[in-house]
Amino acid sequence: METTFGMINHVLPRSFVDGPGNRAVVFVQGCNFHCLYCHNPFTINFCSDCGICVQACPQGALRMENGRVTWDRNRCVECDTCIKTCPSFSSPRVSRYTPQALWAELAPLQAFISGVSISGGEVSLQLPFITAFFEQVKWHSRLTTLIETNGYAGPQAYLPLLPVLDMAMVDLKAGDDQTHERLTGKPLAPVLETIQFLHAQGKLYAVQQVIAPGFTEDKDSMLQTAQLLAGIDPGIRLRLLRFRPHGTSGAAAEWPSPSDESMENLMDVARACGLTQVERSL
Amino acid sequence: MEKKTLAVPFHEFENFTEGLTPGMAAMFKQSVADTIHDRSLIYEQKRDALAGMAAAALPYPPMSDEAAELLESGILCILGEGPAHFYPRYAAPDYARLLQNGSAFLELKPAGDLMEATASLLTAYKYFPCEALPVFIGRLDELLEPYIDSLPEDLARKVLRSFWLLVDRLNPSGFVHADLGPAESKAGRMLLEVDRELQTITNLTLRYDPQVTPRQFALQAVGNALEVTKPYFLNHPAMLKDWGEDYVIASCYNAMRLRGGIYTLVRLNLKRAAEYSGDDPERFLDETLPRIGKYWAEIIESRSRYIIEDARWFEDNFWVDEGYLQQDKFSAYAGVFALAEAANHFSQANGKAEARYGWDAGANALAARITDRVHEILEANPIPACAGTGGRACFHAQVGITSDLDTTPAVRVPSGQEPELYQHILTEAPTHRWIMGGVSTILEFDQTAAANPAAVLDIIDGAHHAGIRNLSIGSATSEFVRVTGYLVRRADLEAHQAEKALRHSSAALGAGVMENNPNHLHRITRKV
Repeated sequence: METTFGMINHVLPRSFVDGPGNRAVVFVQGCNFHCLYCHNPFTINFCSDCGICVQACPQGALRMENGRVTWDRNRCVECDTCIKTCPSFSSPRVSRYTPQALWAELAPLQAFISGVSISGGEVSLQLPFITAFFEQVKWHSRLTTLIETNGYAGPQAYLPLLPVLDMAMVDLKAGDDQTHERLTGKPLAPVLETIQFLHAQGKLYAVQQVIAPGFTEDKDSMLQTAQLLAGIDPGIRLRLLRFRPHGTSGAAAEWPSPSDESMENLMDVARACGLTQVERSL
Repeated sequence: MEKKTLAVPFHEFENFTEGLTPGMAAMFKQSVADTIHDRSLIYEQKRDALAGMAAAALPYPPMSDEAAELLESGILCILGEGPAHFYPRYAAPDYARLLQNGSAFLELKPAGDLMEATASLLTAYKYFPCEALPVFIGRLDELLEPYIDSLPEDLARKVLRSFWLLVDRLNPSGFVHADLGPAESKAGRMLLEVDRELQTITNLTLRYDPQVTPRQFALQAVGNALEVTKPYFLNHPAMLKDWGEDYVIASCYNAMRLRGGIYTLVRLNLKRAAEYSGDDPERFLDETLPRIGKYWAEIIESRSRYIIEDARWFEDNFWVDEGYLQQDKFSAYAGVFALAEAANHFSQANGKAEARYGWDAGANALAARITDRVHEILEANPIPACAGTGGRACFHAQVGITSDLDTTPAVRVPSGQEPELYQHILTEAPTHRWIMGGVSTILEFDQTAAANPAAVLDIIDGAHHAGIRNLSIGSATSEFVRVTGYLVRRADLEAHQAEKALRHSSAALGAGVMENNPNHLHRITRKV
């Protein structure tokens, strides 16, 4: 049988904001969206092994081996010089994992967590690996599995994953096609199909939306989002995430964060559309 | 006989062998006068301090020269008990018996409803037989559940609210302790609600067993802990294994037998003992600790016998006569502190100063071996007075007081130096193994926890699974600060520092700890 590999940016051993309970979070590398406000843009592109960062690394933590950039995590001090130097704003600190190796890294955390969440990057670009990894999780433990996806791959792509998937959080970047394209460069329709599909399968844990000034931080935008979701099921959990400039690049780094008041007002708008589970980040 | 003085006496005029001597009379008078004139103490606090001074005029119960030397050097110490403590340090009366049978001495009838039950309890607390404070006020949910439906629900809640307010106002101290769980009950749920609402400093423990405690009740308790830094989450299955059903938690986090108590707490300063031993950890484990163990037991036995035989505490005592306390359930604590400094001492002595407890596998393993060895030496030195724990001293991890400088409470990693959360838990868990008399690990969470209490419960479950016996859960933004083992409010600390009189005598102790270890107030917040 062919072994699948996952390209993993990093593993967070605990998170209180990536699904129910305490969860380990695996961040995969690579994304098919280019959101203007991306909070971790270094997870978008893959490393091309050009080697420019090898020279730049002040710690000598990067080396060229057989035409590939390799990273020594013990020497690395996470100064991010490599990411800043990279022509494609990628990261050489990405590791190739087999499903078994990734499980071996997470297994010692089992007693402390409810489950494993996979975020990114975009998980739908590595679904065969994620399916094989979740099979490991389900075989070895009682942990729950969750993906955080942009939904763009469309329903068919997620089918093989369903038997080992407990929950999905889907990003709905905007409730109208125009804003969605403006923000992400991609159309909205496949995302909505994915939300409907995962909900029908009983796997939709939440829909998330970043509230960003000039895009989603207004009443009309929230009306569209909330009406779309309420039309599917008013019980769908909607989580509003406050835009934060931290980690962003380009123009977004200058955008202000929405105020508490603005966030509360948008929650009220969503509730007025009939949604019964509206939450927000801090 | 040569006059002996203590390394750190509780009162300056204390004298080892003779008690108050004519030569020390002036100092004694001065202490009395200073207490009378102290404007930061209210009348009750002055009265209790003066009583302590009077008792401190007596000499220590007899002990060998070797035991006395260990006390003089500060390797062993007695925590504020005075030379000749004439009553047990802690007691855990069986209040259920009092509610069921009534009390002839207190002229109380068997309780018929919730109002009578709470009135009887408040009366009993007033006559608590040690300290000026009821350090154990009962397994309150079990005690009150039989009466909770005697009143309509809103009235029952009002009565509980007023009861809980009076517990604090009449016994204002973070050392007053109630137990809840492991089962859920209406009374338990209401007490958690009332405690969260009133925000008093009365201490609480949830005896938590994931097989017995319903998840919803546990989550309610997590929500409270993030808001008011209590209840403690006690690993009930681990405690059951050591104690069986009849144990309680009193004072800070101190375990003892129900209907029993603790005569005395004699502390071993592991830092000082390690320094005294030299550079070789094997010598410390194989020679120093066993040698100390012998005299540790001697001091504990001598102090316990003084209470039993000289002060005759169990005689003419209605708590005993009416069956709320039983002598054969009493024991005494052998407490340790500064385990971190002991482990670090041997790293430093062997040229590996960076190999610190909490961060280095070798230092962590040595720390666990030290607690294993202390357990062995306690087992090897019988103390007949400690009938409640099989004729051996009960192993306790002691959290320390104001005067403990340069030492970390109990077996903890120093505050502010903890490694990441899981590693912190896995470092301290093995040291909890034998410490059945009380120990705890403090975990503090950031604001994301309040929106996801299930995540905190996951970590509690993981920690208990790893062997942690007891957890203090709190939030970095809470008004309540867990000082070593008891709670103080930030507002009270600030008032104490401004020398205002306070109801809470524990705030004065807390303020000292804060001044010496400012990290207690400004704990480094972990990102979770």
